[in-house]
Amino acid sequence: MALIECTGLTKTYRLGDEVVKALDGVTLTIEAGDFVAIAGPSGSGKSTLANVIGGLDRPDSGQVVVDGMNLATARDKQLSAYRNSHVGFVFQSFNLQVHETALENVISPLVIGGVGRKKERRRAGLAALEKVGLADRAHHRPTQLSGGQRQRVAIARALVNNPSVVIADEPTGNLDSARGVEVMEELARLNREDGITLIVITHDTGVAERATRVLTIVDGKVTERVGGR
Amino acid sequence: MKLHDQFRTGWRNLSRQKLRSGLTIFAIVVGAVSVTVMLSLVTSAKSFLTSSFQKTGEDRRVIVTPTPGLDYRESTWANWTDGSGVKLTDEMVTRLAAIPGVRHATPLTSFGYFDSVEAGTTVLTLKNTNMVAYEPNGTITRDVAAGRQLEPGDDGIGIVISTDVANNLGFRGAYDSALGSPITLTPRKDMGNQTNKAPVTLTVVGVITTDGAQMEVTLNSARTFIPTFEQCTGGGQNTQPTCTSQNDLDRNGYASVYLDVDSTKHVDAVVIAAQKLSVGVAAGKDEIANQEQTFTVIGAVLGGIGAIALFVAAIGVINTMVMATLERTREIGIMRAIGATKRTIRRLFTVEAGVLGFLGGVLGVAVSFGVAALLNSILNRQLAENGVTARDVISVPAGLALLVIAVTTGIGMLAGRLPARRAANLDPVEALRHE
Repeated sequence: MALIECTGLTKTYRLGDEVVKALDGVTLTIEAGDFVAIAGPSGSGKSTLANVIGGLDRPDSGQVVVDGMNLATARDKQLSAYRNSHVGFVFQSFNLQVHETALENVISPLVIGGVGRKKERRRAGLAALEKVGLADRAHHRPTQLSGGQRQRVAIARALVNNPSVVIADEPTGNLDSARGVEVMEELARLNREDGITLIVITHDTGVAERATRVLTIVDGKVTERVGGR
Repeated sequence: MKLHDQFRTGWRNLSRQKLRSGLTIFAIVVGAVSVTVMLSLVTSAKSFLTSSFQKTGEDRRVIVTPTPGLDYRESTWANWTDGSGVKLTDEMVTRLAAIPGVRHATPLTSFGYFDSVEAGTTVLTLKNTNMVAYEPNGTITRDVAAGRQLEPGDDGIGIVISTDVANNLGFRGAYDSALGSPITLTPRKDMGNQTNKAPVTLTVVGVITTDGAQMEVTLNSARTFIPTFEQCTGGGQNTQPTCTSQNDLDRNGYASVYLDVDSTKHVDAVVIAAQKLSVGVAAGKDEIANQEQTFTVIGAVLGGIGAIALFVAAIGVINTMVMATLERTREIGIMRAIGATKRTIRRLFTVEAGVLGFLGGVLGVAVSFGVAALLNSILNRQLAENGVTARDVISVPAGLALLVIAVTTGIGMLAGRLPARRAANLDPVEALRHE
């Protein structure tokens, strides 16, 4: 059974006088365990698609069905719960809370979801940091970490709630190529070893080549080619 | 998000901006202190008034005067009679005493037969000193700075002086040493055909805190030195005038009669019954009510000023929270991305604003207790100097303190609502893009 089913998604933005079709009748299915790359030029609607799939944005029309719930019409509470426990986001600019330590950042989805007690959260947070090789940086603040380390903290945060899907929006965009490769390897390993469904938005062909499926989006329309790994 | 996590997050966010949070709290403290102190002053003044009236039994007292139209406060000082109005005779006193509910009817008179008072080497002229005489049966009670008030055994022996007189006689701050001192009163020489002109010596048995210069003796003491006047009518070239001699007290009647009513519930009935005798009647109870009303008005005005200070503080909270939502737009976006509902965001900011209000309230109440203690230490010294036994007159009622904390917390949360809603309604995608 498909993990995520998108049907006829549309979304338009108004930039001044210009109407931009970010999504123009997008229909696609993502299976559990997929490693999907969404590629395309900037402004093509990649991020919009990722945000809609991640429950962060709503389409103008069409539906996104996850576990029988239509994200397009779900209430804020349901949508937030979905983002909290089913989705892990990794952003280009890391989006860590700068005043919190790595560990505090990692456990923040647990705090917001009201999951567990302090000790359990701590254990889960340290385990997630362990997984990305940063257990020894748990009490460092983001400003005391390198770009690659910050992104790994963000990955640990995305993983802490055992999500079914991780959505990474240009995860290597702010990293040099060596760190970028490291981060992509990290994400690919999670997909391979832990079976986490991975959606990576990128315009880096090197990144796209690791994926099992590559969706190309141009002017809000999606075309697919099956990638080779 | 669990409630204690919301509080922890709110507290952390506030401590991130220590100066700004501190200034906002300071504004609330100023508002809380002004409301608390002002209302405490008023309630303290009220309860001081009521308790002192209760202690002296004045809440059960009715004062009868020869002429109607005097209110309670006036009737206590207008105790000089020139014989106008209804003459308050012993017969009238008996009739007043017979009114149901009246325990005692105590006549009081005031006179000015003496020129000077002498204690040791100090001699004072008695121009502005009020000489009062009454029957010491417990109806008239005084706040005593030293010794005691008049008792029946003081007839012809004891005298009570006010702190003013004691100060002028050289006993300032040492009223106990005035006790037992002989005081000699010298009669005026200008009182026409007054018959008794010998000086009178009495012993000080008490110092009372009555306002102004006053000396008190028992009615029986007074009778021994109240002068007798001769009144002559008729008489011509060949005939002798007919002269009658009359005691001054009998001629003019008493200045007032103090009624001690058995219960405050009966005061109104006693007032109505006494008014039927065409005399002036004033009840202490009404005076308390009048003064309480005055204090209520003062309290409303002062409380209003405090409320304005709190209102301004509330604007400060709004300002602080709006700034916070602007600064933390991206943080809000991140929180939304990892699963915070609109409600959670709204609550976070509301809790934060509530914490500001709560801290402001708690600190404000604490400062108010300090201010009250400071005022008391100043006031206690003054009360002691004036021989008043009451101490720590100003108190912050616990109920008021809790109410102020609740109100500042509520104001904080209310002021935080608008910014909180703004934060909650941010589009998470936009917020994440915010630099």
